[in-house]
Amino acid sequence: MRPAFKNAYFNLSKSLNPNPKIPIFFPLHAFLPLPTFQSPTFRFGSGSFRTPSPSSVSLCSSSMAGGGEAQAPTSSPSLEKQFEDFRVQLQESGSLRERIRAVVMEIESTTRLMYASLLLVHQSRPTPELLEKAKAQIGVLKELYNRLAEVLRECDGQYYRYHGDWRSETQTVVSLLAFMHWLETGSLLMHSEAEEKLGLNNSGFGLDIEDYLVGLCFMSNELPRYVVNQVTAGDYDCPRKVLKFLTDLHAAFRMLNLRNDFLRKKFDGMKYDLRRVEEVYYDVKIRGLTANGDPIGEQGNHGES
Amino acid sequence: MFHSSVLHRISLMAAKPHRVHSWTCSLQGSAKRARTMTSESSMKDAFGRYAEYLNDLNDKRERVVKASRDVTINSKKVIFQVHRVGKHNREEVLEKAEKDLASVTGQYMSRLVRELQGTDFWKLRRAYTPGVQEYVEAATFCKFCKTGTLLNLDEINATLLPLSDPSFEPLQINVLDYILGLADLTGELMRLAIGRISEGELEFAEKICRFARDIYRELTLLVPHMDDSSDMKTKMDTMLQSVIKIENACFSVHVRGSEYIPLTGSIDSSSFLLDMPDNEL
Repeated sequence: MRPAFKNAYFNLSKSLNPNPKIPIFFPLHAFLPLPTFQSPTFRFGSGSFRTPSPSSVSLCSSSMAGGGEAQAPTSSPSLEKQFEDFRVQLQESGSLRERIRAVVMEIESTTRLMYASLLLVHQSRPTPELLEKAKAQIGVLKELYNRLAEVLRECDGQYYRYHGDWRSETQTVVSLLAFMHWLETGSLLMHSEAEEKLGLNNSGFGLDIEDYLVGLCFMSNELPRYVVNQVTAGDYDCPRKVLKFLTDLHAAFRMLNLRNDFLRKKFDGMKYDLRRVEEVYYDVKIRGLTANGDPIGEQGNHGES
Repeated sequence: MFHSSVLHRISLMAAKPHRVHSWTCSLQGSAKRARTMTSESSMKDAFGRYAEYLNDLNDKRERVVKASRDVTINSKKVIFQVHRVGKHNREEVLEKAEKDLASVTGQYMSRLVRELQGTDFWKLRRAYTPGVQEYVEAATFCKFCKTGTLLNLDEINATLLPLSDPSFEPLQINVLDYILGLADLTGELMRLAIGRISEGELEFAEKICRFARDIYRELTLLVPHMDDSSDMKTKMDTMLQSVIKIENACFSVHVRGSEYIPLTGSIDSSSFLLDMPDNEL
């Protein structure tokens, strides 16, 4: 607020003294007392936002406000009362956010563990043991999302108010789950399956569909690197499988009408992933390096593009 | 153990309509080949549903944005109407303003009721918050000019209750939009105060000054706890500037007293300046 204070002094002296050659000196303390802004130390909480009534301090009550007082008296106590209630509500909301943040940080670190385990697939052909280690984290995540749902339960209907606090972490979680699912089954993890793995449900604390779709785009980003490393590790059939999968996924995404938002941007990236996988596939095919026994039919034919 | 989890997944998938999948899966270089029979079409089915979801969501968002823009424009008209208030026409001007505000409520705010049911209220907040803030600004401005008091959030929400029939959740302005709208009110109060001073209504201007100060003081404590705290900080800076302008104007009037020259407008018979020689103006 200090710049504003300096401005105040300047503006006032200008308005009183049209002739700038004659300076006016005011004792600074004669000015409006500006509060010093320190970070507040009190705790915060939430209140009822949809139907605010000054008397209800209960968290997010869904009772209807019957209109409160008919006419606010001119005295300021009623003014103060309203703002005091706001302060309590907002404090509660702040503390709710803190609780959310605490759980989300744990989600983030669990996700990191999962990701670190999964990174091993780039080093060699994937083994069941490798995936088991990553899959073990799913249970932890399920429990954490459960806790998050608990925290939010106090505030019915406000999932999207706080959604930004777990949005990007959830997108990452979905991308890892989808990648693991593909490694195991060769197919795409559906939205409902993802919800189920995380113990979420549509009617309560659910998995936002846009988060799910962004997660799929993140998964697609991993595939080019995976394919390159698998070929290096000797799996020459991998590019064909990945290419088919990514082509299907890209085609499915093209069914969506997107806005110019983050999801669209990520989807735009998918075609570059697809291109890189295609290039790996053709590199392998042209050199006749396809997997033994696979009826590709063009084995040994060079010059095919 | 691995295969049993796959089978578990199969039984879940079977709950989906009209698709039965059979899976055999392997991980590394074994003789079995991974076969996913209908995965491509199930992908298309699923994405067909996601497409529908996104289409509905985006269409709704567009409707909300349009309604919000209508609320904004018409609330601004209410504010401009209130500014037309003068010494001798206050009653009629404010009456028209109230009528206009009521029509904003009935015609435009009402369109938001249907769209903002359930979780959409918070999901689409960015789409309608400008309109709602402007509406709060207009409503509080009207109320202040009429009664000198602040329209409470409860009061403004009470006027919205009749908009929806019982099958809908009523549209209720949330505390954040109310506070943000209130933050913009001081700008209009500043214009009003300066205007009143120019027309010689000094007492009214001082009343405005006190009111603006009260709002600023009350909102100060709420700033860091707002969800959109950085927006709010900017608004607070602007608000302080408005309050200071009002205070300076009142100060000038106070200090100059009998020398005070209205900046524009009417020199009526009660003006003490009629006999002032021109070179001192």
